[in-house]
Amino acid sequence: MPPPHPAPESPHAPLVPLMGAEQAPLLARPYFAGGDPGPITAALAHVPEMLEVTAAFLGAVLGPSGIDVRTKEIVILRTSARASCRYCVEAHTVAARDAGLSVHEVRSLRGETGAASPFTDRRELAAIAWCDALVATGSVEAEAKSQISAAFADHEVVELTLLVTTTLLLNRFCTALDLPTSPGVLARLTAEGLR
Amino acid sequence: MGERVWLYANYHCNLACTYCLTDSGPSSPRRSLSSAAMVTVARQAAELGFGALGVTGGEPFLRPDLPGTLAAMAAVLPTVVLSNATQFTGARLERLRPLADLDVAVQVSLDRVEPTANDELRARGNHAQVVDAIPRLVEMGIRVRIGSTLDPDAGIDDEEKARLCELHRRLGVSDEDHVVRPVVRRGRAAAAEMGVRTTVADLPPELTITADGAFWSPFGPTVRDGRLDTDLLVTRTTDPLSTPAAALARLVEASPPGGDARLGIR
Repeated sequence: MPPPHPAPESPHAPLVPLMGAEQAPLLARPYFAGGDPGPITAALAHVPEMLEVTAAFLGAVLGPSGIDVRTKEIVILRTSARASCRYCVEAHTVAARDAGLSVHEVRSLRGETGAASPFTDRRELAAIAWCDALVATGSVEAEAKSQISAAFADHEVVELTLLVTTTLLLNRFCTALDLPTSPGVLARLTAEGLR
Repeated sequence: MGERVWLYANYHCNLACTYCLTDSGPSSPRRSLSSAAMVTVARQAAELGFGALGVTGGEPFLRPDLPGTLAAMAAVLPTVVLSNATQFTGARLERLRPLADLDVAVQVSLDRVEPTANDELRARGNHAQVVDAIPRLVEMGIRVRIGSTLDPDAGIDDEEKARLCELHRRLGVSDEDHVVRPVVRRGRAAAAEMGVRTTVADLPPELTITADGAFWSPFGPTVRDGRLDTDLLVTRTTDPLSTPAAALARLVEASPPGGDARLGIR
């Protein structure tokens, strides 16, 4: 079904030109085989040997794994909002909605609701607190450490920490390069009143 | 994968040939590889098992440091350097003398047997410069090759090709050292809609190092309207050379056999 509104163009111009399929380097070509690979890949394609390893790394950390997709999207969206990454917040608002989060939950993670948090699950609250603790500079608060360790197994703590820190990497990458949000994402945000 | 590693010494040139792959000219950004970087590539190429080196540009001999760099490279592996032969007079020619004792070949571009036709593609007076320079290089004991890049739409018949060969033999260059290839439709040739269209499968893989990264072949790092083509980029990393060499080997393994025989591109 076509989007209810015409796909809007992002007002953001990237710092570097995004690689198109025609100029995609040899190692990057597989990423363009299915059409537009998105701005992160199109930017990384400038350094194809880095694209290969980075795409695999990001896919492993952000993709399906031992931690459920809802929790992962909570972590990615919360971290991105705290790190003020416009691109990641917009992209992962849509991903979070697709993972089953409500509009209210999304708004809460984005820091847009002053009222009580819609989150009540102990593990989700611990994950959110862990994001907030890791985005802040300086040492990580003992209380956040106790909370995450009480809610998650050791291997989950490791993976969640990797997820938060990888998201932070992406946050700074996307913000520095001012990557434009895909028209499809902007259309979804507009349609759901989340722009 | 080809046994030769190519290096783009620089991108600027005192000529501006109509079909230039790299859109080179006097005002082109130099984008030079340093002499040290070129010698490092040579050493690492030898360690990795490559058997020969090639230096191209731009016009490499616009660099005053080139004869010394070539000598250091040729001490490691046999080296061929491409040139328009415009810099081989007087003291500049004398500086090439040490290369006579080394495994260095200078490949001079000469595209048409008739001066007018040649110079239309290259520059006024270029035919005369080439015909003048080659015997002097040969006399110094330097191995000379002649590279002829032919426009497939120029109507060059067998009779003209035969006269071109007669000319290079007269100049002291053997048939073995005459390299003929078609204009490839990339760079300035693409802008002028000249030459044969190619895909990666048509171009033999020969690791090519530039200031912008490593490419599939010397036909890869082309420039059109001032912008570098990246479609045949392999890696940005060039040191260690094993990084692009391994990536190119992987690409070759995954790609169909090259059509070199069909297009005669070398």
